[in-house]
Amino acid sequence: MAGRAEWPVAKRNIAEAGERRLFFTEHEWATIEAATARIYPTDDQPGAREAKVVRFIDRYLSGLDFIFAGADGDGFLAVSGRDADAWRIRISRLQATYRAGILNLDAIAGRDFGAEFRLLSDERKDRVLESVSGAPKPTGIRVSESGEAHVQNISDDAFGFFDALALHTRQGLFCDPVYGGNHGRVGWMMIGFPGPHSLADTRDCTYGHPDKFLTDYDWADLIPHLRSNGRPQEQAEYENEGAKPRGNRENK
Amino acid sequence: MRTRKFERVDAVIIGTGATGGTAAKVLSEAGLKVVGLDRGPWLKPRDFSGDEIKYVNRNFLVPDPLLNPRTYRESEADEAKMAAFSLLPQMVGGGTVHWAGWFPRPKPSDFIQRSLHGSVEGASLADWPYSYHDLEPYLSKIEWAFGCAGLDGADKFCPPRSKPYPTPPMAPTRFGRTFYRACERLGINAHPIPQAMITKPFNGREPKHLTGFWNLYGDPSGMRSGTATTFIPEALATGNYELRTECYVTRIVTNAGGEAKGVVYLDADGNEVEQEAGVVILAAGAIESARLLLLSATEQYPDGLANSSGLLGRNATFHEYLYAVGLFDREVTEPFDGYAGHYLSGGSMQFYETDEKRGHINGSIIGASQVGHPINWMLPGRPAWGAAAKQSDREYFRHSMKIGVCLHDLPVENNRVDLDPAVKDAWGLPAARITHRSHANDLALAKWQIAKNAEILDAAGASQITAVMHKRCTGNTFHQHGTARMGFDPEKSVINEWCEAHDVPNLYVVDGSGFPSALGVNPTLTMMAHAWRASDFIVKHHAKGTKYRLDRPRAVRKTATEA
Repeated sequence: MAGRAEWPVAKRNIAEAGERRLFFTEHEWATIEAATARIYPTDDQPGAREAKVVRFIDRYLSGLDFIFAGADGDGFLAVSGRDADAWRIRISRLQATYRAGILNLDAIAGRDFGAEFRLLSDERKDRVLESVSGAPKPTGIRVSESGEAHVQNISDDAFGFFDALALHTRQGLFCDPVYGGNHGRVGWMMIGFPGPHSLADTRDCTYGHPDKFLTDYDWADLIPHLRSNGRPQEQAEYENEGAKPRGNRENK
Repeated sequence: MRTRKFERVDAVIIGTGATGGTAAKVLSEAGLKVVGLDRGPWLKPRDFSGDEIKYVNRNFLVPDPLLNPRTYRESEADEAKMAAFSLLPQMVGGGTVHWAGWFPRPKPSDFIQRSLHGSVEGASLADWPYSYHDLEPYLSKIEWAFGCAGLDGADKFCPPRSKPYPTPPMAPTRFGRTFYRACERLGINAHPIPQAMITKPFNGREPKHLTGFWNLYGDPSGMRSGTATTFIPEALATGNYELRTECYVTRIVTNAGGEAKGVVYLDADGNEVEQEAGVVILAAGAIESARLLLLSATEQYPDGLANSSGLLGRNATFHEYLYAVGLFDREVTEPFDGYAGHYLSGGSMQFYETDEKRGHINGSIIGASQVGHPINWMLPGRPAWGAAAKQSDREYFRHSMKIGVCLHDLPVENNRVDLDPAVKDAWGLPAARITHRSHANDLALAKWQIAKNAEILDAAGASQITAVMHKRCTGNTFHQHGTARMGFDPEKSVINEWCEAHDVPNLYVVDGSGFPSALGVNPTLTMMAHAWRASDFIVKHHAKGTKYRLDRPRAVRKTATEA
């Protein structure tokens, strides 16, 4: 059984997947494209539609071929062993979540406005999404006294349809283009993130952010007590004290 | 199933992370024959790149929770639910593969919590069986053997050091400079937080990687210090260390005399293998180490190995990462580009020691650090969708600054790791169940500290400040300690002052499990020094058949400064 250190890189020709639908039906594709376009709308700058977020989600839900890009960004790791079992479960749950979510969008759209979700006006689509999310459309950053717990590794395992859609829209907007989203790097350009030309450049370290570190700095300028003394007196004392034998200290 | 057997070795080490890697180096360099086992693979620098989806969202480096589930509940009365709790990488290098490399030293006060604070209601404070001064030589050994960057004399509250930092700190970022200036305005001593990385050529390593893909990512350059690129190859170079990856230890085996005989594990193909050893060294992290000891129950040890005290798994502490984010007006402030830098850029130890006026005991390290990358940049209260979501990204992705705190949580006896009665992992073994409710002091400290961080952001010129508050322990720091408490008294602790189990004379637990209390700083440097110290003991005493015990402290020490 191959562990992840030995997973080969498969699908070297990413372009092969092209514009083809891999999972969604035509209707599902159009519905998710319309929904993501409301999650991250287009204004004078591109949004989810231009970033091809729907293609990103479609590839993700298609199976195990687009889970982990290889370090060079020229293909995807061939996930195997128990990890493949876990990913099969995860993806099939998400497929079901999306299929049910799309049916629900259309059901609410039909009930409230008498048409399929994708055919509604932007304003009406937003009403449906509010209904699905269970909360009013956000109007700004919400500062709350109680706050939320913060988990560092954000996964979609426990997510329902709306939360998954919102997270995957972000992912499809700002991922490395190898994953099928962030088409033409429009997501990165919009927020001013100078993403790498390819993952290979981040691996061999030709891509980095050297210009984001200061070159014209002096620690004494940033740390006041270094200005007068060079080194604080306390530090000199510490060094003498450092290797004190145990016995002396015990009796203090 | 037929169990395959390997030839007996001097020591078997379970885990290859911060502490298992340290033990591997020290023991093999001393000439002991050692086998190292890890559940996961050995990923190399060439396997890593700046792929946010892969490392942050799809968790390439951490165990898949569908295979390695963990459950969490707040109290005994609750039903434990599946939770992505403290998913430390299970692979060669362990947490040192994905970490940011915060490498601060602990303080003398961390080792004498009971003497300083007495009996705190609801907490189970205890002094460590050794002091900061006992550990200091090992802290220096680790800093110099592993590679570390810091600025001598910058931290006014720095505890005694016998050696300077091996390499200077990383240059500040623009958000770092803003942090330094705001702190100066408020009279706060800000300084670079020591980091486990090298900024000058060091031990054959080259610091060439000026990136932003740092915290939670693997490092393709080897600039960041991790045991997978330092101590493990050094141990292998001795010819005395054999590394076996993809080997899942299912139990520690004991003999009729109650001594550890070796371990049984499943290899990559699912075959059961037994490895006998003179010493069994557990270094799997405080959750997995406790779990394995509980899984190793026998007729002689029905409550789990090394658990005659009943304390195994108890007094677990986890820290929690909390932060405040300041949002700055684009028209007024230069962009901070908080996606860049090697995570940290400035911090302070000014609020570390107890000040009764704050209404709580202890304090924590704080650090100004990256806000993260485009998908996951940290914006508490983020609008999830619509024009507001887009607007907040455009306005603030390059114009926000984060100051975080590593919460010094108090040990509580009922906060523990045990075996979940219902949930099993993909190998059919019970999952670790975490029961944890934050002590009132944790909540008070978190509240005070977030307000202080907000004050610094305000002084820096933020127009709006938003924060993550402490609601519950999520294990989001990946710091795990306390489940096999260390002490002199076998009735009140699991392992002794050299990390040897009171009940099992040749079983050592060298990871953070032994910590009687959490620190107010990131624990890895302390864990590594702790493991080196125990390994030294194994080489100098245990392997030679001599016994050596520390004297119990004769006097109760009253204050940190006297310690």
